[in-house]
Amino acid sequence: MILRRLAPVLLFAAVLFLMQWFSGRGLTALPFLTVAVFLAVVLLGRWIPWQSLGARVRPGSRLFSLVLFLHITRHFVSILGQETTRVLQARALCLRRRWGPGAFRSLAWALAGILGRSLVRAERFYAAQLLRGLGE
Amino acid sequence: MKPVLEVAGLCCRLGSRTVLRNIGFSLGEGQAVALVGANGAGKSTLLWAILGLLPSDGEVRIFGRPRSRDGLARLGVVFQNPEDQLFMPSLEQDLTLPLLNRGEAPGPAREKALEALEAVGLAGYAGTPAQRLSLGQRKRAAIASVLVSSPSLLILDEPTAELDPRSVRQLTALLNRLPVARLIASHHLEFLQATTTRALLLSEGAIAADGPSGSVLGDEGLLAGAGLI
Repeated sequence: MILRRLAPVLLFAAVLFLMQWFSGRGLTALPFLTVAVFLAVVLLGRWIPWQSLGARVRPGSRLFSLVLFLHITRHFVSILGQETTRVLQARALCLRRRWGPGAFRSLAWALAGILGRSLVRAERFYAAQLLRGLGE
Repeated sequence: MKPVLEVAGLCCRLGSRTVLRNIGFSLGEGQAVALVGANGAGKSTLLWAILGLLPSDGEVRIFGRPRSRDGLARLGVVFQNPEDQLFMPSLEQDLTLPLLNRGEAPGPAREKALEALEAVGLAGYAGTPAQRLSLGQRKRAAIASVLVSSPSLLILDEPTAELDPRSVRQLTALLNRLPVARLIASHHLEFLQATTTRALLLSEGAIAADGPSGSVLGDEGLLAGAGLI
């Protein structure tokens, strides 16, 4: 499961590495850091006891902001995952050819669509939490 | 009847496009008002402008005073997507969070959360995360998450979107039981007929009709003119 999730990150890191290689401006640690951060986040996400974490930490305590940040990040990563899955499934259903110029163009539009949808969702989420008094 | 929400001369522009034109209405204590209009008529934009989430011209008074943080704290806003409101690992934590954040003690906050869950028919789900519920249950949980703060005015944006008929019936019964003022934005005419007494018909960013729900929502010519049927 984790390898399946890792595949797009490895692809992204590989493209990043190749772009740096071909630009001739020297290689950075960014591709490796990308993979390392992904693995760290996945392992941390499994290790954190989410259910009891929220119950233990009270507003006003030093750890509260961090715990809230972790919960919001986890929630938003899940929203982002759902949006990405929906968009890519819709693209796959409409697509006649998996590869070629049309397929790549549609992939670019799909990814741009995910970015747009994510911004809208983030805006709504922020507005909802603000109105619940969590921005205070 | 004391006004809980007064809107006068509200205009809103998004880029070069005018999306709300000279909107004016007031909503009294305990009143249930429908904000009805076709897709793109400006219902959600109007709600966002009222809440100060979008820049607008004109006057918005909440509980007789210009819009302020204190006034907004007495409103309960239910967004179209419950996932925008609920994000903690259990419903109980989702409901108690704003109360604890305002300085309430954990015991009374928990009691209020359980009462709110009971009021929406989700008494046995306090320990369940919102993601494990059906959409109808999530919508009711989102309503509970605002009821817990005892709001004096409830604002609901498209509450029946994507709900099956049974969930719509449950939501109708729930809203009719609530004693607070309500402003419900939707294009679900049957639902609005059943849950509101007055309707504001929004068409191309302006109020085209304001009257009893029965007459506004039953006027086919008016609804056709607004692009609703």
